Amino acid sequence: MEKLSQEQIDKALKILKMPADSKLVTHLNACVHCGLCADSCMYYKSMKEDKFIPARKVELVASLYRRYCTLTGKIAPKLVNARDLDEKMAEEMIDILFGACTLCGRCVKHCSIGVDIAYVVRTGRQMLAAMGLVPATLQATVDAALTTGNNMAIPTEEFVDTIKWMEEELIDEMQDENARIPLDEMNKNVLYTLNPREPKFFPLSISAMAKVFYVAKESWTLSSTMYDVTNYGLFNGNNEEAGIIARHLHDEVKRLQAKMLVLGECGHGSRANRWEGPNYLGMKYDFDMITVAELINDYIRSGRIKLDKTIIKERVTMHDPCNLVRNGGLVNELRFAVKSAVNDFVEMNPYGNDNFCCGGGGGQLAMSEYNDRRIKIGEIKAEQIRNTGATIVVTPCHNCIDQLMQINHYYKLNVKIKSIAEIIADALVIEK
Amino acid sequence: MNWYQWMALGALAICALVLFAHFIRLIRLGNPTDYSKKSGSVAKGVAYSSTVAMIDHKESAYLHIPTYFAGMVYHVGTFVSLFLFVFFLINIALEFTLPLWLKWILITGLSISTICGFILFVKRLLVKNMRNLSNLDDYLSNLIVTLFQGMTIGYLLCTCVETNYYIFVCILLLYMTVGKLKHVVYFFAARYHLGFFYGWRNTWPPKKVK
Repeated sequence: MEKLSQEQIDKALKILKMPADSKLVTHLNACVHCGLCADSCMYYKSMKEDKFIPARKVELVASLYRRYCTLTGKIAPKLVNARDLDEKMAEEMIDILFGACTLCGRCVKHCSIGVDIAYVVRTGRQMLAAMGLVPATLQATVDAALTTGNNMAIPTEEFVDTIKWMEEELIDEMQDENARIPLDEMNKNVLYTLNPREPKFFPLSISAMAKVFYVAKESWTLSSTMYDVTNYGLFNGNNEEAGIIARHLHDEVKRLQAKMLVLGECGHGSRANRWEGPNYLGMKYDFDMITVAELINDYIRSGRIKLDKTIIKERVTMHDPCNLVRNGGLVNELRFAVKSAVNDFVEMNPYGNDNFCCGGGGGQLAMSEYNDRRIKIGEIKAEQIRNTGATIVVTPCHNCIDQLMQINHYYKLNVKIKSIAEIIADALVIEK
Repeated sequence: MNWYQWMALGALAICALVLFAHFIRLIRLGNPTDYSKKSGSVAKGVAYSSTVAMIDHKESAYLHIPTYFAGMVYHVGTFVSLFLFVFFLINIALEFTLPLWLKWILITGLSISTICGFILFVKRLLVKNMRNLSNLDDYLSNLIVTLFQGMTIGYLLCTCVETNYYIFVCILLLYMTVGKLKHVVYFFAARYHLGFFYGWRNTWPPKKVK
């Protein structure tokens, strides 16, 4: 690594020296190094290296705080392990804070004190971003979203072609020439969003949701340019970039004058828009924003769609995306949708707020240099799935789906991985 | 009052002032401003975070019952010792004699908590993961508080250690202002922030999974 300039160091330390509120100061002072968080972390459980203990991750940032922001750390750094921000420290931070944390927050819930470890790790990432030290692979994903409007840099023509192709599929399946996947239509009730993995790799999940919209007779549209629900600015730690990406969808709702923004099946994307987006932009949104699972539940409860639970005969389990459940409060909403569509549902152990991450969160899927670690920690999820005896795993997150497909292959689980839209579409009763 | 009691009173004042300053700083920095649309109840989240969440499905507790239990007892012993210290100071004027039965209950309880503190110290010293996680402050904090409890037992047994007891209390109170013992303030703030975060998003209090 090149020597850090004073300007880089100053930018990073500004984040610690000028906290916006009491949260950061609290969590940096609260850890007592009891180490009881170790068993809650997938990295530690899988690899048993003590550098992966969540408290060690907090310590990286807290030791800098003590060095530069406390009297004890300035006078007697050795007493409190107050460390200098130098190249060695920066390298360690990159390896641990980017390469060994999915920001799933499981350790937070189980911390004996209540330290928001994921928040501290994200703060460490913010410091690295301020120094321009985000792993290039992750930054490329953010840059693609900034420059093209979607993180996979899919050209608009290619996207529109895919949508038209899916529309033809929908027309065939519904045997209705009027079945549509609307693009850029104004004044609709719903502006629906996608994870770019859908048009790129899993277009059938788009037609599945279009089928649900068709049966529910929803007034909806997709945007041909700003449809990306993801926001890797949540992961790279650059709030300015995260804000620009969040604004894409905000402004598109305004441009198309949609009543409601529906967040497609993406855990971190839902979090980045629903919970973090207004904070990145520093304003309240004046339109409604819900996840697609909540929308589907509205359809079920109001009778706008009907489901036949006998169609799917296989045993089904669900993977809880961390950002929708533990960090999003949707534990029962997700279950309502899936249990409405299947008869034989079984939970993983643990599940809900205690679930384990799939291993692909926190930007891990984008950082190929940490692939080995990602697959290794995925073994925990693989075992959970195997133990359920299910042959279908449902999860409302396309990043989770990607990771689950990889561990399905690697650990030979022989299961099918589906989104909620797909399982709902499979169970949908079509009334002619 | 003797010189060492005045000194302890001074140390108590310094400690209380510094900890109060930390508390005031947190208050002045204030809550995070959240522009997202609230989904749950912050009040219920904070209430849950500060009570049931400490033991409810918490891996740091149920996967580590001996350590967690030792930690709880140790902390109770610390607060009892601090309370006794304040009582001893006030009692200089009151001249109240503790009943023998209460004295022995306190001695027994504090003996257990002192042993717990010592076990936690040894664990930190011997377990590799813990050793790698710890700094000098961790050991000192643990040791000083454990010895403080031991000194309290000694003072309850015999007033002949009075001078040593008060001098040691001074060391403890002054060290509290510089080391990790400050977490007496930040622990409660952390529980509050956690309750705020999960309460806002309707994760806490947890719902019965349907």
